[in-house]
Amino acid sequence: MLELHYNRPTTLRDVVGLLDGGAARLLAGGTDLIPQLREGRRSASRVVDLKRIPELNAVERGPDGGWRIGAAVTIGKLGQNSAFAIEHRALLASAQLIGSLQIQNRASLGGNVCNAAPSADAVPLLICLGATAEIVGPGGRRIIPVASVAMAPGRTSLVDGEVLVALVLPAVRPRTAAAYERFTPRREMDIAIAGAGAWIELDAAGAIVDAKIALASVAPTTLFATQAQQALIGSKPSSALFTEAASVAAREARPISDTRGSEDYRRHLVAVLSRRVLATCAAELGCKIE
Amino acid sequence: MTTTEAPMKVVGKRLPRVDAGERVTGRATYPADLTRPGLVVGRIKRSPHAHARIVSIDTTKASALKGVLAVVTASDFPVIEPGTIIPFGETGADAWVSALTVIARDRVMWRGQPIAAVAATDAYIAAAALDLIDVAYEVLPAMMDIEAASARDALLIHPAMKPKGFDASILAPRNAGGRTVIERGDVAAAFASATAIGAIKTVIDTAHQGYIEPHACVAEADATGFVTLWVSTQGAFQTEIQTAVLLGLSHSKIKVIPLEVGGAFGGKITVHVEPIAVRLAQICGRPVKIVMSRDEVMSGGSGPAAAARIDVRIGADAEGKLTAIEGRYVFDSGGIPGTPTTLLMQASAAPYQCANLYLEGFDITTNKPRTEAYRGPGGIQAAFAMEQAVDELALTLDIDPLALRRRNLAVTGSLMPIGTPFPSIGLTTIAERIAAHACWREPIEPGRLPRGRGLAFGYWRGTSMTSAAHVTIAGDGRPMVTMGSVDISGTRTTMAQVAAEEFGLAIDDVHVAMGDTKSAGYSDAAAGSRVGRTMAAAVSQACQDALGQLRVRAAAKLQSSTDALTYASGVFRTSGHGGGSINLFDLMRSTLTEGAIVGRGVSTKLPLGVEAGAHVCDVEVDPETGQVTILRYTAFQDVGRALNPVAVEGQIEGSVSQGLGWALTEGFDYAADGRLRNASLLDYRMPTALDLPQIDCVLIETPVPDVPYGVRGVAEMPIVPVAAVVGNAIRRAIGIRMTQMPMTPERIVGELKAARRC
Amino acid sequence: MKTVVTFEVNGEPREALADTRDTLLELLRDRLGLTGTKEGCSNGNCGSCTVLVDGEPVCACLVFGGEVEGAKVLTIEGVAASNTMHPVQAALIKYGGTQCGFCTSGIVLSAVALLRRNPQPTDHEIRHAIAGNICRCTGYGKIVEAIKAAAVDLQEARL
Repeated sequence: MLELHYNRPTTLRDVVGLLDGGAARLLAGGTDLIPQLREGRRSASRVVDLKRIPELNAVERGPDGGWRIGAAVTIGKLGQNSAFAIEHRALLASAQLIGSLQIQNRASLGGNVCNAAPSADAVPLLICLGATAEIVGPGGRRIIPVASVAMAPGRTSLVDGEVLVALVLPAVRPRTAAAYERFTPRREMDIAIAGAGAWIELDAAGAIVDAKIALASVAPTTLFATQAQQALIGSKPSSALFTEAASVAAREARPISDTRGSEDYRRHLVAVLSRRVLATCAAELGCKIE
Repeated sequence: MTTTEAPMKVVGKRLPRVDAGERVTGRATYPADLTRPGLVVGRIKRSPHAHARIVSIDTTKASALKGVLAVVTASDFPVIEPGTIIPFGETGADAWVSALTVIARDRVMWRGQPIAAVAATDAYIAAAALDLIDVAYEVLPAMMDIEAASARDALLIHPAMKPKGFDASILAPRNAGGRTVIERGDVAAAFASATAIGAIKTVIDTAHQGYIEPHACVAEADATGFVTLWVSTQGAFQTEIQTAVLLGLSHSKIKVIPLEVGGAFGGKITVHVEPIAVRLAQICGRPVKIVMSRDEVMSGGSGPAAAARIDVRIGADAEGKLTAIEGRYVFDSGGIPGTPTTLLMQASAAPYQCANLYLEGFDITTNKPRTEAYRGPGGIQAAFAMEQAVDELALTLDIDPLALRRRNLAVTGSLMPIGTPFPSIGLTTIAERIAAHACWREPIEPGRLPRGRGLAFGYWRGTSMTSAAHVTIAGDGRPMVTMGSVDISGTRTTMAQVAAEEFGLAIDDVHVAMGDTKSAGYSDAAAGSRVGRTMAAAVSQACQDALGQLRVRAAAKLQSSTDALTYASGVFRTSGHGGGSINLFDLMRSTLTEGAIVGRGVSTKLPLGVEAGAHVCDVEVDPETGQVTILRYTAFQDVGRALNPVAVEGQIEGSVSQGLGWALTEGFDYAADGRLRNASLLDYRMPTALDLPQIDCVLIETPVPDVPYGVRGVAEMPIVPVAAVVGNAIRRAIGIRMTQMPMTPERIVGELKAARRC
Repeated sequence: MKTVVTFEVNGEPREALADTRDTLLELLRDRLGLTGTKEGCSNGNCGSCTVLVDGEPVCACLVFGGEVEGAKVLTIEGVAASNTMHPVQAALIKYGGTQCGFCTSGIVLSAVALLRRNPQPTDHEIRHAIAGNICRCTGYGKIVEAIKAAAVDLQEARL
């Protein structure tokens, strides 16, 4: 690790000013970035610490009844917001799978998105829930779906000089539920071999009108299982339906084999986990499925 | 010597560690915590290749970097030829092995083997200097497992080495370091007439001891050349001897000061960074500290535990009496040959009486890091095969697995596999206790997912070797013990209990210190479950020696004969009515300047304190994910006598947790090019608090005859049966016999799919 | 590149001259001599370097020194009040919850933080709170027992 400039700006304008040239890295929680820099897996001549910028460190109600989560808000702090914790129990629980409590007290939701790891536990539900990313850069402010942030492992669609400022969640609609489950050999301090997030919306008659399934660790970025989603729409929740959709999701997965798991095992887990999270969503909505 | 029959006041009590206070407040000093005036940082450059010839090393640029004070390569160390035997344990050790472990010469046998080292004024400069060392390699094919290395056309990793233990009739596999055989009776005939056979072929991955403290040391050389070395080691004298030989120094010119050890488990006996730190310190004239990174520890900087392939076959008659045991134990030594297989072969078959045995062991050299000891080395691997084969036999015969074992357990005096009679052993008592215990009698609580209960026995021989201690008496009459062994398991506490017992004092009246190699007598390493037993003997002897000297002084003070004095609880009294008395405080206050009291104790080749035990565990298996949950775990162990039950339980619980880690989630995953793909503690999955159950310990006390306090070895046996008991429980839960270790969720799902059960 | 970090450590104002690349762990150990905080992996995977920053447990190896400017840091050296052990420390001693001691500092800090936010934790909550602290010696049972006992001691002290 070569010489390093460390900056602690207090305004967003100052951040953008410090980002000229590609050798600067943004530091939110640092739980990914610091080991990456020290082990030479990423390089930087400057880190810009985002934790002193008020806008990036607030959790606020959005005008539409949704939420605006500053990109540098730690998962620990997010969990202390009781209104958020009640409304987004599943999303919060997915974020609370990351690392240990020590990690969660530093790591931010924005960092989990921008680190662009396929295994990011908080991302599947963020994208299932339709979260958007508010990005500020030299060209001003733009808003894109969170699903469009990660381009490849470790690479985002943000261009030099841009900063993820906040993640914006739309208001929770009635008759919707979300759930995320991952599989790890250890019960804590581990990284998903595969993960599945699901969100479903029922109509008044109890049929699924909309559904999202997003998969972790089985593609270069978090993967929407679009065919599995389609397979759900129009039907009432049932265990046969969920088993079928889950097997579609498993076919849609594009996993690799590595030290954490083989392609086959990951695909197998996608089927298991997708079925389980769909069942959890249904149970949450009071559906009795056999 | 206190007899084991006398009621004891301090020994056997649940007392807190005498050094616990400094641990919970962060004051305990490990080598990485030490600083010295002028201290500089040492760092090691390691091979990126698993197998290569070193063509050239150019250190010019690194040496020229501002802040770099010394650069060393193998050429800065004397050449040590194979067969350079140094005093070490029971049989001595080959210093050539330590030499190659410390720094590669001409050839590289594993990725992460040291190539060069630098000393610099700070860590950032040292890191930059490592990058400036140019090494040219001729890369050779890497053989990353037993199959590849023993293949007919495999390249020889040590072409000049002659395999040991082969005769003309047996062709040595390629890269075999040695072969050992334990044989009796006629196995072939016994199998031919056996009613039932239990068999298994196992494949076990390399694992790591997983101590949390990376290897670290500080070295300093004074103007006269005298070296002081602060280390985290299991053996101060072993560090001294290896370092002296590797550097061509006299033993008497090195003082090794053992500091606290942040876990070792067998991995801190061989030197790794110490001789390099000394050489750097000699060259730059400044104290040098080397602390390994976690990646260095995992990726070739230390010696993990051996991978193995073990096949076992057991034959029995219709009544379940064992008639034949056949075992083939192939161990992966890593880059340097020499994994000893005899002890683990013997240990795996030792719990049972069987007339016909054929156990054959090989060690194969591969391009993995040279393997080192890990808690009962080879024991858990061997038992994984043997105890699962016994379970298979029980299933085939449809006999309860405890009942089957009770028909065959070894007893005091029965013949061990190596042919000598068993010293006192409590295996049958253990079996009785299991049969009566709720963990075996009560049915498993039913659950939503499949559950099963396993049983496995374990045995470990341990060793004795030699231990020394001396006791001086402070001016206030209190005993001050200095021991030559390092404390890695609460030895200061248990020895304070022994000394307090011997003197009839409270534990707070006794002080016990780890000596350095210039203030304590030669003692072997804290390894092989030997320290508690042999150091207790030495301390007991030293205390009695001191008490004898005190008795002479007390007799003079009391104008009595020594024979007429009684001693109890710190007071000498003359016998009879109206006799005088003097306590140790007054005695020493009045006689301190008459000369030091120094009590000396040395124990050598004490009778073995063989360890026996058995574990029972209930598991739940999620057949969809393959996840195993340990619901209940009970460890039965004959500990001879527990000097301190808290310490004994601590050793057992720690052993079980390490064993569960290897059983379920810990295994090194080497890429074909020798890279370790799961070197981080994220991917090398040691159990967290959420992964382990509360472990229940049942201590059984069958004192060892002719050993002070009857102490047995304690700390190795309890890892031996762990993987097997989990395997047996999984088998009973889901009907699948796991043959690969660790039994990861993926492997369990793989087996279930192969059996079309998921 | 050097930087001066001004922060509070164990209730005392400190100023440390650090390299900008230094982590909080290096700042504490190498620049301030507070070596009770241990380095086991440098990667956030073992928890040996756990300290409290503004009351929350974090891995000191995953924080740059500069990030704690103005913060309050509690390390193992500041847990005991002068010579009186914190109940967590006293219980770890009593129940055999420390063996080699290398993970102990981190365990103590994780436990202290737990009992501040949850004075009556269940066994599972205790295990969850220390799941980021790898202990290789004890198997955790005696640590859990100790933290449970410390919770009772703290409750009684409050009454």
